[in-house]
Amino acid sequence: MTILRTSLRNFVAHKGRMLLSGVAVVLSVAFVCGTLVFTDTMNTTFDRLFSQTAADVTVSSKDAGSGEAPATGRPATVPGSLVEELEGVEGVASVSGGAFSTGVTVVNAENENMGSSTGAPTIASNWTSIDERSMEVTEGRLPRGPGEVMVDADTADRHGLELGEELRTISALGDFRSEIVGVAAFRSTNPGATVVYFDTGTVQERLLGDSDVYTDVYVTAAGGVSDGELKERVVAELGSGEYRVWTQEEYAAEGQDEIGSFLDVIKYALLGFAGIALLVGVFLIVNTFSMLVAQRTREIGLMRAIGSSRRQVNRSVLVEAVLLGVLGSVVGVAAGVGLAVGLMELMGLVGMNLSTDDLTLRWVTPVVGVVLGVVVTVLAAYLPARRAGRVSPMAALRDDGLPAAGGRVGRVRSGVGLVLTLAGAGALVVAAGSDEAAGGSLFLAVGVVLTLVGFVLIGPLLAGGVVRVLGAVVLRVFGPVGRMAERNALRNPRRTGATGAALMIGLALVSSLSVVGASLVASAGDELDRSVGADFILQSGAGQPVVPEVVERVRATEGVAHVTEYRWLEARLTGPDGESVKESVTAASPTYAEDLRVETVAGELPAAYERDSMSVPEDFAKAHGVRVGDLVEVDFAAGGTAELVVRAVTASDTSVDQGAMYLSTATAERYVPGDRMPLNMMLFAKAEEGQEDAAYAALKGELEAFPQYEVRNQADYKELLEDQVGQLLNMVYGLLALAIVVAALGVVNTLALSVVERTREIGLMRAIGLSRRQLRRMIRLESVMIALFGALLGLGLGLGWGVAAQRLLALEGLKVLEVPWPTIVGVFFGAAVVGLVAALVPAFRAGRMNVLNAIATE
Amino acid sequence: MTTAVVNPRTGGSGGSTAVAARARQVVKAYGAGETRVVALDSVDVDIARGAFTAIMGPSGSGKSTLMHCLAGLDAVSSGQVWIGETEITGLKDKRLTRLRRDKIGFIFQAFNLLPTLTALENITLPMDIAGRKPDREWLDRVVETVGLSGRLKHRPNQLSGGQQQRVAVARALAARPEIIFGDEPTGNLDSRAGAEVLGFLRRSVDELGQTIVMVTHDPVAAGYADRVLYLADGRIVDEMLRPSAEAVLDRMKAFDTFGRVS
Repeated sequence: MTILRTSLRNFVAHKGRMLLSGVAVVLSVAFVCGTLVFTDTMNTTFDRLFSQTAADVTVSSKDAGSGEAPATGRPATVPGSLVEELEGVEGVASVSGGAFSTGVTVVNAENENMGSSTGAPTIASNWTSIDERSMEVTEGRLPRGPGEVMVDADTADRHGLELGEELRTISALGDFRSEIVGVAAFRSTNPGATVVYFDTGTVQERLLGDSDVYTDVYVTAAGGVSDGELKERVVAELGSGEYRVWTQEEYAAEGQDEIGSFLDVIKYALLGFAGIALLVGVFLIVNTFSMLVAQRTREIGLMRAIGSSRRQVNRSVLVEAVLLGVLGSVVGVAAGVGLAVGLMELMGLVGMNLSTDDLTLRWVTPVVGVVLGVVVTVLAAYLPARRAGRVSPMAALRDDGLPAAGGRVGRVRSGVGLVLTLAGAGALVVAAGSDEAAGGSLFLAVGVVLTLVGFVLIGPLLAGGVVRVLGAVVLRVFGPVGRMAERNALRNPRRTGATGAALMIGLALVSSLSVVGASLVASAGDELDRSVGADFILQSGAGQPVVPEVVERVRATEGVAHVTEYRWLEARLTGPDGESVKESVTAASPTYAEDLRVETVAGELPAAYERDSMSVPEDFAKAHGVRVGDLVEVDFAAGGTAELVVRAVTASDTSVDQGAMYLSTATAERYVPGDRMPLNMMLFAKAEEGQEDAAYAALKGELEAFPQYEVRNQADYKELLEDQVGQLLNMVYGLLALAIVVAALGVVNTLALSVVERTREIGLMRAIGLSRRQLRRMIRLESVMIALFGALLGLGLGLGWGVAAQRLLALEGLKVLEVPWPTIVGVFFGAAVVGLVAALVPAFRAGRMNVLNAIATE
Repeated sequence: MTTAVVNPRTGGSGGSTAVAARARQVVKAYGAGETRVVALDSVDVDIARGAFTAIMGPSGSGKSTLMHCLAGLDAVSSGQVWIGETEITGLKDKRLTRLRRDKIGFIFQAFNLLPTLTALENITLPMDIAGRKPDREWLDRVVETVGLSGRLKHRPNQLSGGQQQRVAVARALAARPEIIFGDEPTGNLDSRAGAEVLGFLRRSVDELGQTIVMVTHDPVAAGYADRVLYLADGRIVDEMLRPSAEAVLDRMKAFDTFGRVS
């Protein structure tokens, strides 16, 4: 009981010093819980949406894809006669036909795309009983005939659409104009899709291409008939094979699965960053407890002298850690819910309206948060607690007041650290030299972990050297104040090492990713220069296929020498070894061989575009023993089976079109039925000699009416790549900022505790004439030293990782190493700024110290 | 080693009657109302230049407070304090710090040195902070006087308590301040080491013409001074010139008896 009481009193007495560690726990736990709450809420939202938008039993074509735009531009359909047929089934209350397409683009009079910018689909649909349930007409009325359309309220809001305005709907079957006659609002959450309604006939004729088909048939059960029973009866009536029949539950589960796997990616990515922040937080906690124990050495010695056992001392420290963990986690869970709400608001800004009514806090979330926070805190405090237990009763008698300097770094620790670092470096070298991706990445992972742990262990050892060198370069300017700052940073290498190491982790990740990102851009640019012969690339931002009209328009554009069509077909391939694999093959115009100069290891690429010919990549050839001249059976998913001659084997170490198998569009057309042939995914075009600029302008002009597509020349395309990689990196940096903030808190913490520890010294210096400004500068410089030490280690480590990763990824086409020096230098100076900011409060407090109190001897 | 040194500032060997520090009607009180405690009660004092002054008194007599107020470490409640011709009461922290740096030397009872700096670095610290180059010749003489020549590269934790206090004395002397304040400078030393340090202080007055004010409760230490001021209940109650340890002790005993009788 006494133990608990002393722990409690200590905790309360040092609440200021505990605060920063507490913040680290709060941040990490909040991030974890926020992620969980956010993804759970998304799940709830979609769950509700899917069950709301599903009929008791839905019948659709077995070819019906999910979500994404249909490759052929036209959704898979079922015959209209199904409605009548199913009305006769026993237990059916009503049947209605749903007609919709996601292969559409809707634009306003100014040719602006009404679709979402977040990748959510644009859906053109008829108005069914399902829609009646989930939507409500808030303005105007339902549309009649192709000249009328109704839009969802969010889209109307976003683009300022009003009744009477004209919209143009573009699909693979051409485009048509309609006037807005109504606006309908979602009764619950709109996940971001753009929805337009037409009458049934319009959707059938203009978007499905047949006036007597539906995409889905919705069956409602009569009272007393369960969905399962109804499904059985429907299947019995229709027979299995042709159709897919699903109950409301199955339909929701299917949708949930797709969204779920997407959400899982987000969830684990966010949790990964939370983990990094937590790891950094561990350093902060270890440091705090080490310092608190060191400062309390005399007190602990006294406790031991009057009879406390080691275990009691040990436990009293751990009890404090539990208190910190519990408090931090509880606040963290609450903050996490706040964070999730914030994220939902953020999603609202980009067009996905999530309602806080759906906010889902499952019981596991707080449990996970609190357990995580407490366990991590206690584990982090374990070593310092043990050290506290080892304080000898003699410590009470020593009167130097200052804790033992702890200047010497454990030899065992350094030895182990050195061995790990060397082993890790070795693994990185092996990874860099590896000629096999899977094994290489294993070595890379091992190398990264070992060097990280190794650096953490030898951090205190390195602190001596690095701070001295940095001091020689940076601090000389500041004279005696600089010298004292350097000495202070050096006097407890373990502390400086641990504080710097926390910063090191985040910065190592930043710098290694920046190297990989820059190399990616440089390699792709290099490859574009070397192998792409086409002048222009046309594709849609949202991955929609190219509608035929656009193909014609591009062909007809003045100054264009040739246009290459490019589409993907799913197929099952059977090689000479008899093994069959599912692959996607690329059907393109023969000019593609000029547009993309792919190196071959055997045969000539143009030959692959001859009739009934194809090419395979080196990997595939090796795996299935395929040689030039062999026959490969290609069973197209869209129908038709071909026996094609392999005329070329392409090299695999390319980053563009990696692993592609080429055949000509004409070959594909011989086997795949015309109405099932996928549309082009991209177009490539070459300008006539000297006409590049004119042709580019002309193409842009032609595409004005089709805002879903973007045509780019090589320079623009490179810029696009750069932007995409840059955006991804910025997102990752943003998430790593959390870890860096926690590390900065660590610097604040270390300084604050050091200032308290050095109260007497500070008093002495002030007495003999150190001005407040000089004192503050001294503390700032020490802080900058610690931060730069962490930055230097982190950048060094990160560069090593980045280079090893690039060398390994060279196998996958990442052939050019590019070190983004501006980023690296920026990070270094950024770290100095972090150091300055971290020192603000401790320096201010040191300046405010009362000289007399500080030097008072008793 | 014991050659006479002429103090370059005063131009004499301490014979000047000028006043190095002055206090007029200095009051220092803590708290207010019922709980008000007066540590210094209208103290007037003149510290002669080139002399060694000891301030004595029992615990709680206000002797440390007086020193702190004279040295510009603590603010007075009322009254005026001068260091040389400069009135320090009312000075802002910045000017006060500069004054301490340039005109005052300190020797504390313990924890006088920065553990991260060597003995030599500690000695030159006030000048380093001020951005002044130490006068090499003077520094050598000071170091030699306190007998530290072989120990300049040592860190404080490698020095004995007596050596540490000698380093502190050297630091106080090195910058040639107008006045040095010592707060029980030998309080933590055994008698031999204490005698050594006091001997250096005495010699720095005699040979270097230094002005020193020392707070102590040790009659033996006070015996090294030119003049002893006795403080009781925040007032100066007595003074003794050219004291000897025995005389100081006798006077103290008298106070004790007197205190008990009243």
